[in-house]
Amino acid sequence: MTTPAIAIRNLTKVFPIPFKRERLVAVRDLSLEVAPGQVYGLLGPNGSGKSTTMKIVLGLVPPTAGSTEIFGRDSQEVDSHEEVGFLPENPYFYKYLTGAETLRFYGKLCGLSGSTLRDKTDELLKLVGLEHARDRRLGGYSKGMLQRIGLAQALVQEPRLLVLDEPTAGVDPQGSAEIRDLIVSFKERGMTVLLCSHLLGQVQEICDRIGILAHGVLVREGRLEDLISIEDQTEIIFRDASPELLAEIQALVARSYPKTSLVETRKPRTTLERYFLDVTSGSASRD
Amino acid sequence: MPAAVESPSATPLARKVKHRFFSPARVWALATNTLTELVRLKVFYFLLIFALLQIGSSLLFVRFTFQGQFQMLKDTSLGAMSIFTSMLAILATANLLPKDVEDRTLYTILAKPVPRFEYLTGKLLGVFLLLLISILVMGAMFAVVLWWRVHVVAGEILSGGEPPDAVNQNLSELYASAYDPALWAGGLIIYTKAALLASLTLFVSTFATSSIFTISVSVAGVFIGQLLGTARDYWQTTGTLAPNSLLDVAFFKPVVLIFPDLQAFNLVEEIIAGAHVAPWLVAKTIGLGVTYVLVYLFAGYFMFAKREI
Repeated sequence: MTTPAIAIRNLTKVFPIPFKRERLVAVRDLSLEVAPGQVYGLLGPNGSGKSTTMKIVLGLVPPTAGSTEIFGRDSQEVDSHEEVGFLPENPYFYKYLTGAETLRFYGKLCGLSGSTLRDKTDELLKLVGLEHARDRRLGGYSKGMLQRIGLAQALVQEPRLLVLDEPTAGVDPQGSAEIRDLIVSFKERGMTVLLCSHLLGQVQEICDRIGILAHGVLVREGRLEDLISIEDQTEIIFRDASPELLAEIQALVARSYPKTSLVETRKPRTTLERYFLDVTSGSASRD
Repeated sequence: MPAAVESPSATPLARKVKHRFFSPARVWALATNTLTELVRLKVFYFLLIFALLQIGSSLLFVRFTFQGQFQMLKDTSLGAMSIFTSMLAILATANLLPKDVEDRTLYTILAKPVPRFEYLTGKLLGVFLLLLISILVMGAMFAVVLWWRVHVVAGEILSGGEPPDAVNQNLSELYASAYDPALWAGGLIIYTKAALLASLTLFVSTFATSSIFTISVSVAGVFIGQLLGTARDYWQTTGTLAPNSLLDVAFFKPVVLIFPDLQAFNLVEEIIAGAHVAPWLVAKTIGLGVTYVLVYLFAGYFMFAKREI
């Protein structure tokens, strides 16, 4: 049996409220597993316990009860962090460091040095498209560039698991699409990704499986396709279908299949994001 | 953004590099990063004030005898070194941890295989490096100004037209009053005190909720530390502080446990005054400072290890 990339078992986290006898239950008896190579979306409204769960998985916060494991190792143990790269929401890295210095700093924290570190820095800057800004201080980076350098630092030790908290928050559509493409490429490389995002359209595009948290409880969990498909309906898309053909199909259905009803006939739409990118791709100059 | 993404390495780096429980390389990476942060925040600008103070004081006391001139120069310079390094230690350290928490940079660091003890040690070592550079630069400025004043006074003696024996006598007195090897020990004690204050400040920042609170408590620590010895002597002389009395157990002993007795570091004033200070006393004072640094570092780790960030 394959060891799960993330295993959360009966996780509960309770925060005492200072100067009061009350306690806040942020996560309640949560259990889930993320298989290696999966892109898993952890969804939920603000205050649903997503960030707390993420912090416990990263070993930043201890659980009140239950356990979390990363590739079979207790995530509260520091050595399990070798397998994890993390990009927090709205990160502010050391703005006095340049892009290259930032990656070297994080690389050193992971035990890299010498030519290995130099090569890794160059490779990651190229991967996230920041070679041109390698010697610019992060104080002069745009929001999208900061997210991309954040992704690069998360990848510096070549972790098997990436934890991304709102990786496209505040980024323009083009930057957001680039980050989405990067996440897809990580999946193609066999990496596991745990993604927290409020951009459900993007989650739908890239996640294999999702879990929905509400008030600290996992209310739904499963394969994305299983959760969002409407079981009793079927979609057929034609190209260049004439009005006569469509009328004939409708007549056929009405005549021969009384239990079947036509719900809707409409032209498929592209997404607003794709439309925006098509319109702006010729004129936009990136960062 | 590049069109193609490169294929993953055959052996991921995470499994090539063996994690170690304590890594001096990681601590050094954190320390040098902290030093870079502080240097690029332009904290060294205060050295300009020190330089102006040096030049001003050397010109102000020019009408004194050369013994008086050099004494005032030493008083001013080492006094300023002590104040500047203490202030720098508190102000530079107070914001390190809160800023990393606020900017979420701490998450990205602790999500890497970095134990919290290494993080704190690295931050503190970075401040120690900053203090070391500061005190070396201030010491060098002091040495240059002192050498310049000695050079000027020696020129006046040589051109004074006195007999050779008197000139030699005056020059001997000049060099003896200017160059005192014990001043190095004074610098070392000033550095140790500043390191102690940095570790106290870092300790406070591990449980403080704001930088203002951290700075306030640390500055209060300096005042309390200075007053502790005087208060103890006074209470013991007047018989108020009997051993194991309520005042001793409920107030004095807890305060002594938390705040450092900084009066021990006033030894530097005796060194400046030219009094003979036994080497063992200097070593004892430095030992006291190192002990406090270690105590505050471990106490800080104890608080930080439990902190939910």
